[in-house]
Amino acid sequence: MLNVQVDKQGMAYLAPPGGGASTEGGCGSGGGCSSGSCGSSEGHAFKTRANEPAYTALPKSNGAKLNQWGKAIDLAEDHKALTGKSLRINNSEAISTNPERYKQHGFHFSADNCIGCHACEAACSEKNDLPAHISFRSVGYVEGGTYPDFRRVNISMACNHCDDPVCLKGCPTRAYTKFAEYGAVLQDPDICFGCGYCTWVCPYNAPQLDPIKGEVSKCNMCVDRLEVGLKPACVSACLAGALDFGVIETAPENREQTKLAIPGFPTPEITHPNIRFQQTKELPREMRRTDSMPLVYVKKDEISKGKNSYAPQVADKPLDREWNLKKLRSREDPLVLFTLITQAVVGAFLLLFLAPMVPIAGMEVLSYAAHPVAHAALLFGLLAVETFALALSTSHLGKPHRFYRAFNNLRYSPVSREVAGVAVFFNAMGAYTVLMVLPQLFTWLVPPALVQGLQTLAGWVAVVAGPLALYAMNRIYRIKARPFWDHWQVATSFYGSMLTLGALVVGVVYAAVLVAQGESFASLLNVLAWTMAAGLAIEGLGLIAHARDLSRGGGEGAASHRVQRTTYGNTYLLRNLGLALSLALVIALGVTHLDGVAGLWAWVITAAVILATATIGRALFYVLVIPTTMPGAFFWRNKGFEEHARETGLANMPQVGVLPNVH
Amino acid sequence: MLFGRHTKNPIKIADKGVTDWKYTTCGYCSTGCSIEVGLNAQGKAVAARGVGDASVNQGKLCIKGIFEHELFNSANRGSTPLMRDKPIDAYVPVSWDAALDRTAAEFKRIQEKYGRDSVAIVSTGQILTEEFYTLGKLTRGVIGTNNYDGNTTLCMASAVSGYKRSFGSDGPPGCYEDFDHTECLIAFGSNLPEQHPIIYWRLKMALEKRKFPVIVVDPRVTMFAQMADIHLPVKPGTDLVLLNSLAHVILKEGFADRAYIEAHTSGYDEFSALVAQYDPVTAARICGIDEDTIRHVARLYAKAGAAMSIWTMGINQSTHGSDGVAAINNLNLITGNIGKPGGTSLSITGQCNAMGTREWSSCSGLPGYRALEKEKDRETIAKFWGVNPEFFPKQRGMFMTDIFPAIETGQIKALWLVATNPLTSMPNTPRIRKTLQKLEFMVVQDAYADVETTQYANVYLPAALWGEKEGVFTNTERRVNLVRKVMAPHGDAKADLWIFNELAKRYEQGRKMNFPPTPAGVFEEMRALSKGRMLDYSGMDHDKIEAQRGIQWPCTEGAEKGNPRLYTDGVFQHADGKAKLLAMPFIDNNEKPSEDYPFWLNSGRVVEHFHTRTRTGKIGNVNKFSPTPYMEMNPDAAARLNIPHMSYARLISRRGDAVVMVQHTQRVPPDMVFIPFHFHECVNRLTLGLLDPYSRQPAFKQCSVKIEPAPNQQAAAAANVAARSF
Repeated sequence: MLNVQVDKQGMAYLAPPGGGASTEGGCGSGGGCSSGSCGSSEGHAFKTRANEPAYTALPKSNGAKLNQWGKAIDLAEDHKALTGKSLRINNSEAISTNPERYKQHGFHFSADNCIGCHACEAACSEKNDLPAHISFRSVGYVEGGTYPDFRRVNISMACNHCDDPVCLKGCPTRAYTKFAEYGAVLQDPDICFGCGYCTWVCPYNAPQLDPIKGEVSKCNMCVDRLEVGLKPACVSACLAGALDFGVIETAPENREQTKLAIPGFPTPEITHPNIRFQQTKELPREMRRTDSMPLVYVKKDEISKGKNSYAPQVADKPLDREWNLKKLRSREDPLVLFTLITQAVVGAFLLLFLAPMVPIAGMEVLSYAAHPVAHAALLFGLLAVETFALALSTSHLGKPHRFYRAFNNLRYSPVSREVAGVAVFFNAMGAYTVLMVLPQLFTWLVPPALVQGLQTLAGWVAVVAGPLALYAMNRIYRIKARPFWDHWQVATSFYGSMLTLGALVVGVVYAAVLVAQGESFASLLNVLAWTMAAGLAIEGLGLIAHARDLSRGGGEGAASHRVQRTTYGNTYLLRNLGLALSLALVIALGVTHLDGVAGLWAWVITAAVILATATIGRALFYVLVIPTTMPGAFFWRNKGFEEHARETGLANMPQVGVLPNVH
Repeated sequence: MLFGRHTKNPIKIADKGVTDWKYTTCGYCSTGCSIEVGLNAQGKAVAARGVGDASVNQGKLCIKGIFEHELFNSANRGSTPLMRDKPIDAYVPVSWDAALDRTAAEFKRIQEKYGRDSVAIVSTGQILTEEFYTLGKLTRGVIGTNNYDGNTTLCMASAVSGYKRSFGSDGPPGCYEDFDHTECLIAFGSNLPEQHPIIYWRLKMALEKRKFPVIVVDPRVTMFAQMADIHLPVKPGTDLVLLNSLAHVILKEGFADRAYIEAHTSGYDEFSALVAQYDPVTAARICGIDEDTIRHVARLYAKAGAAMSIWTMGINQSTHGSDGVAAINNLNLITGNIGKPGGTSLSITGQCNAMGTREWSSCSGLPGYRALEKEKDRETIAKFWGVNPEFFPKQRGMFMTDIFPAIETGQIKALWLVATNPLTSMPNTPRIRKTLQKLEFMVVQDAYADVETTQYANVYLPAALWGEKEGVFTNTERRVNLVRKVMAPHGDAKADLWIFNELAKRYEQGRKMNFPPTPAGVFEEMRALSKGRMLDYSGMDHDKIEAQRGIQWPCTEGAEKGNPRLYTDGVFQHADGKAKLLAMPFIDNNEKPSEDYPFWLNSGRVVEHFHTRTRTGKIGNVNKFSPTPYMEMNPDAAARLNIPHMSYARLISRRGDAVVMVQHTQRVPPDMVFIPFHFHECVNRLTLGLLDPYSRQPAFKQCSVKIEPAPNQQAAAAANVAARSF
């Protein structure tokens, strides 16, 4: 029972302990502690007050053991060692004695009731002292029907403290922890290095990357309030009986449903989020978004999926093809170069290392013995550009000086694995290069055979690590919350680029050397041409399948594809033509054996076409992705408005809440 | 941890280091929420929270209140008086003495040259009641102009007028607690979730405990309309027809409370003859609500044991605003729903202290709901203040909306604006802009130096904000609540009370009278003047008000508490003690859509902004939800005109034009657009604002426009950015 007192005016508020008046800093929470159990707020981080209203008290659960996914709600059941510890919030050593402290808690949202008043968002930002451009909780909406038979459904969303927190698994620095206490998923900005990968993988846009601070922060479930028996600030601020909180699967007072989703909410299958919904009022068949995402939510077959079950579809917007070349620039620009360069370097090294072992005419010139200077120069060149690429990708971090934390989560994070893979490849290639070109540095110390052996070993390590790194790189983008990326085309594109660009790099360098020495480069480039053709063909096939599958798949992927064919329609066409032209050119050159100055010119033009196409293609890859995030409002969380504000200068006023471009 | 890091760092959660919470009352709308501002060890305001045991808000705050503490450090606060010879010159910072000496000298010079009434004073609903009282004393007793009004003429004048005509006095008779007792509620032109979110919460909590029918009358499908059991999408400006028709059905079908009508009302015969003409068939053709629905709603309302009506600007801001209010009162009088729990006519007021100005500012008469037209009232006040009763005019002077035309044509030469911004808030702002250029002398007294009217002023007086001074506000339900001084005024800004008192000292008459220097001293005068009257304050003092988190008047001397309702005994303030049933024919005088101007233009509030954004436009966490103006437009209409979502459109009315970003939504009908009124150089460049004949309140919400895509989208965007720069 809650320790609630009712005063003469009929108002209920939490009774202070001992029934008397309480002073600031003493335990005013009293009954706020569920079942009167948390004792005093003395020593807790959050200071309670004597006149705390009853509605802010954490409610008792209904005693359910399993959640709707079949997982135990009691998180400490198998982890008794985790109980009875302080969360050390702001270094407070206090521990709540709430018996439900180790049960998974979550939000409950009555979509029927939300009025979009922003009180939850404001209370959250006020409590967490957030600048205008960051928000742990956001309200967006979908609407449908025809006047006056019109419905707008507001959705208030923060972190859902998921059973399967993809942010935690994705984070390379292990800044995330899922606590046994309340099942809260908390992120530590002091560990974060600002790569923003968690903001990619989260389907709900919960982690917030602050470009000014260079770090991510997110909803902390108000665990400081929970520890003294109070509901989170957003819930306590709700003015419409919409947002509530408690042990998961326990419907709040006066509520009956604990649905897993409502229209506009991304599929809960990805992360098993700890939010439940009530939505009883019938909605129009089609619910539209007001933000710029070209998505609508359409009612699915009622019998198989239950009432009010909605799926995202591409909005029926005009099919005007535009260029928007300027919009190809994005925050991910460094990644465009990093991925392309790394793929090229891996490809080039594979060719250099493996080609001499392959009995194909033309390849033998790639051996160290054939052209020691060119071979060495190319190896050092590869090391140099890869160093540049690594610097670029590090500069992409909000806190580059914490780069070493990238290896912290090899167990789960594809980012950690990619970084590790690239690091091994890079170092092995470096060792191979040094041992090959400057063996005298070592031979005075160890037998030359050992140097030779080490060199070969380093080469093989790099040969294995390079493609593995590219595989991990490809895994980075296989994000369920980003359907445009979540396709095997990423692999064909990355390995395709490895072959195409790797061969191109080798070809350019060797052609120059061979021309300078007055030798023919035709047979080498003939072989490389087929390598490039293979790379381009693989990439092309992947792209064809990608476009087909996106169109069929519906949802955000199809919306991305719609944007690809409209907003970037001409650019997309240009890239596709560029790819086809590249393929045609390399095949033509491979067949014709063009040599001499004419051949060189033909290759230079081909190289330019390939590089331009690859750059545009990779830039499109980053700007086109539409995550499965929550619908925005007309201004707030509307990508279209954010872009407009940046273009027009509105964003230069801090009170607009949109950061100007910080390239 | 379940998984994640093995060695946990301490969890860091923002701690603002609040060392002291100061009690105050929110300075935005008139809901009257008790709010605590948290100060850190350095004395900086860093946090805000609702007072947990306050009757009104019970710990809740809306978005504006949650960030109200940020106002103290918001941009472009005035920190020193500014002065210049002519508006074409640049402002020069001056001392308070210089600014006030010049102001008094100019007022005297102009009054001497052009007559006493050639100086006009337009105040506000934002300052403290003690300040209103003092301004009234200064204006009526010292300066002596009769052209003195508040900007409440733009918001609540029709409610005041309607209450006076029906009940014989201003004063909303009900309270929020009526939600807990009512069995049927109609909201006319009121969008509580957006305008008064805390009152909506009170209603919602009442509905969670006990369901009763809610009917919302609004031409837009607002959130409130969506939440209602019945939404009546009335045609703009036709509420009176609907109300007369509801009365028609109630009288005709015998659901009226005959005993109540007999005992407590007058004018029944004329009234019943008039509403007899408004049968549902006729009414449906005008107001757009079908006849069956009208009958259904009338029966529902009349049969309810207790039924209440609330309304806001949808009624007040129309050409028949006062009639609309009186018609709502009619509805409640004939069903016996006045002065009983759950049965009331409750106007939901706009500004934090619109009620205070109505009660005590002497704008429409003399303090404490006294009238200039009554000799006894003039004599009482003259004696109390030490003024010759003949100094008072015997009739009320111009309303705010008549003052500006009088400036335009030269009858008024000087203007003193106190905490109001007519360059954004008045209808037809192009005309206001021209008008202000005709003044010989203008003073702007405001907390913000960038309030748009300073462009035309000679003197700018920096005023303290809410929370930088002490005094009381009265809320919608007549609850007098206390604003404690949270911190010292910004820079050299001064409390309005101090400014009024200092100006009084510059007049010989002012030096003879007593102008108490402290709010508590002023409050004592108000207590004395209210004793035994309807708005009795005599049982209150500042500390008692804080202890009870606000007290509802009347609170008689010695009484422990205030009173939640008026007219519980059925005795009204008209001379005969009865309420008047008023017979009011509908006159269709709106500028309706035509072939040339095919759209209704409607305006209203959004939850994140207050009035002309001088405050909320500077707080990022509030402003970001609508940082620029927008227009709700029906997508079908937009498609016909080829106006895309999120593009800029140009609107043209018979007054001027405006450029605004378009949002497609089926919230509005195909022949109507809606634009929030908060933004400078936007909707009020277009509005007509025909005046209500009784209240002189402008009909902001009814005029017609034509719409076209903005010819140059980039230029439109640039113009929009320029108009937003604070």
